[in-house]
Amino acid sequence: MAEIKLKLKKEYEFPLEADTITPDAFAGKSAADIKKLTVYHGNEEKTIGDFFDVTGEGGELNEIKIIVDGNLSNVKRIGEKMSGGEIIINDNVGMHVGNNMSGGKILVNGSADDWAGAMLKGGELEITGDAGHYVGAAYRGNWKGMQNGLIKVKGKIGDEALTWVNGSKPAKRFPTLICGAAGSFLGIHSHGGTIIVEGDCDRCIGADQVRGTIVVKGKVARILPSYKKLGEVEEIELMNGDIIKGKFTEYSGDHSVEKNHSKIDKKTGEISNSSNGRLFVAA
Amino acid sequence: MVAKKIRTVTDVICPFCGTLCDDLEVDIDIKEEKVIEVRNGCQIGTKKYFASNPSDHRYDKPLIKEKGSFKEVSWDEAIDKAANILIKAKRPLLYGFSSTECEAQGKGVELAEILGSILDNTASVCHGPSLLAIQDVGAPTSTLGEYKNRADLIIFWGSNPVHAHPRHLSRYSDFIRGYFRKDGRNDRFIVVVDPRNTHTAQIADIHVQINPSEDYELINAIRAILRGVEIDADEISGVPIEKVKELVETMKSCNFGVIFFGMGLTQTLSHHRNIDAAICLVRELNDHTKFLLTPMRGHYNVAGANQVFSWQTGYSYSIDFSRGYPRYNPGEFSSVDVLMRDEIDASLIVASDPASNFPAASVKNMFKYPLIVIEPHHTPTSVNADIILPPAIAGIECEGTAYRMDSVPLRLRKVKEAPGECLTDKEILEKLIEAVKKKKGE
Repeated sequence: MAEIKLKLKKEYEFPLEADTITPDAFAGKSAADIKKLTVYHGNEEKTIGDFFDVTGEGGELNEIKIIVDGNLSNVKRIGEKMSGGEIIINDNVGMHVGNNMSGGKILVNGSADDWAGAMLKGGELEITGDAGHYVGAAYRGNWKGMQNGLIKVKGKIGDEALTWVNGSKPAKRFPTLICGAAGSFLGIHSHGGTIIVEGDCDRCIGADQVRGTIVVKGKVARILPSYKKLGEVEEIELMNGDIIKGKFTEYSGDHSVEKNHSKIDKKTGEISNSSNGRLFVAA
Repeated sequence: MVAKKIRTVTDVICPFCGTLCDDLEVDIDIKEEKVIEVRNGCQIGTKKYFASNPSDHRYDKPLIKEKGSFKEVSWDEAIDKAANILIKAKRPLLYGFSSTECEAQGKGVELAEILGSILDNTASVCHGPSLLAIQDVGAPTSTLGEYKNRADLIIFWGSNPVHAHPRHLSRYSDFIRGYFRKDGRNDRFIVVVDPRNTHTAQIADIHVQINPSEDYELINAIRAILRGVEIDADEISGVPIEKVKELVETMKSCNFGVIFFGMGLTQTLSHHRNIDAAICLVRELNDHTKFLLTPMRGHYNVAGANQVFSWQTGYSYSIDFSRGYPRYNPGEFSSVDVLMRDEIDASLIVASDPASNFPAASVKNMFKYPLIVIEPHHTPTSVNADIILPPAIAGIECEGTAYRMDSVPLRLRKVKEAPGECLTDKEILEKLIEAVKKKKGE
């Protein structure tokens, strides 16, 4: 196991963009080489060595474990596009942590700012505190957001998490978010995401959901008028086959979206439930 | 022969709101080079012409603040000082641009790229959410002439043109006679969706009075009803379900419908998601009839700022050049957000007055650092600036291009000379670019 320790030694004045703090960039590099990697501070190019003390050295990608210490609340893009290895962040972290990552693991021992785990393609992001808006969301204008992987947030997350999430049962891609509580527009434009909220949710969750499952174990501020109540269930089967037990009220929707998946039979009024989006709220 | 005392300029484009009326007539006193009469314009547009006359509120020489009071200086000195501030800054902000012409906006982009700064226009506090939604789900839209000639159902959603775009109704959307709407107002059905009983609502055929900030739920319900879903509720967003169903029937049965939406949709609780849903609604209405939508743009050339920025950088607002290439992320690089987080260390404001419109906390942060303004009038922003560069007012004192709210470019006209030493926005930005380049040794 190649362990690399980064400790912030100098306060930064502007947001620090440190997309080079990834196992991919550190692989096979000595501490001196790592210090030379670029970070952006305002409109200036600086190096990791200007802001961090670096100890240890990088080996094989999947063996690498990066530990980052210090006030990182405005250090952005740690773990961007990483494909393996592990990062442990021992403080609050800035925006875009772990965006576009495709493998490996990030553990944030603190809270994360907006866009944590945006467009995740694999791997695992765990946040022990709260997270900002757009957790695991698609970047502006993208029609495919998070496609695989797992995001776990212990605390509350902000608005519009997992927008345009895109999962697929045949392709075995199950993008999943587990969080303590959530803001509004959770899983908007979802195409097959799995979202489990341990606590309460704000308004408009599952708006424009085409496929996917949202499970809320607490209360929902307001359910959209385009959701149809189906009845009570005792057991929920998630897309990846996992089972959640408990008393839930099942809704289907969003029926305002024009997609074949949310078909309602015009004669019988029956809802094709097999491929429709589902919302479960604790009864 | 008697010497002429008055010069009349006809077919003038009004540089006030996004309607960009193109039929104004302006009389100029030749001797004093002053506007003395404006015909055809609305009240607010007319006022802008009169406000361009030399007065105590108009700057005509470059000013620099020294020990709390302004001192008149030469252009060279002012530009030199401004360039020094901008070069020294590590995260400067360039904001505004929506009330000037496109050529100047292009120069703004050039300056931002050289400086590695954040570049933003006023869309970030007005129709930015519309742009986000358009990037997500597209936009079925058209030019205003189509609406004038064809539309028989006009929906004003969260907009109040009687006050914000006073001639919109008479030129494009309501009273005007069109090729297929020969009887003007009588051939059109007007719906206003607004929590308030506005003056636009008072001239409408139906006023749908919804609860504030619940637009999303109403659009969502309309979309569901449109798709044949029975809704299990007595009222949606404060509107009785029967009335919602009636509205859906009205929408389906028109020949050519249009939604004009304003700040009531973009800057209330759900922001861009309101527009997202409205666009999806319009898209789905096209299964039944012809339906389009158009944002009611505020500043006369904010559409132009979006056009120019998109053409030159790929993004319409909230752009960051700090890495040398443009990046885009509203919320991260939009001016209110960077000011709230206190992330900048100098700002250049062009043709805008953020101090009147931004949250107080963000304005406080802006005033902490050097502030340069290119601004013709005394405003809350300019009186707190360190350097004031006085421009000629585009569309009155210099020519240029502007984009109407439906993105039709029109050529602005010059009707009179600028007072004092005023230069055009474009010339000022060119001087700044030249000075910055020289100091950087490029």
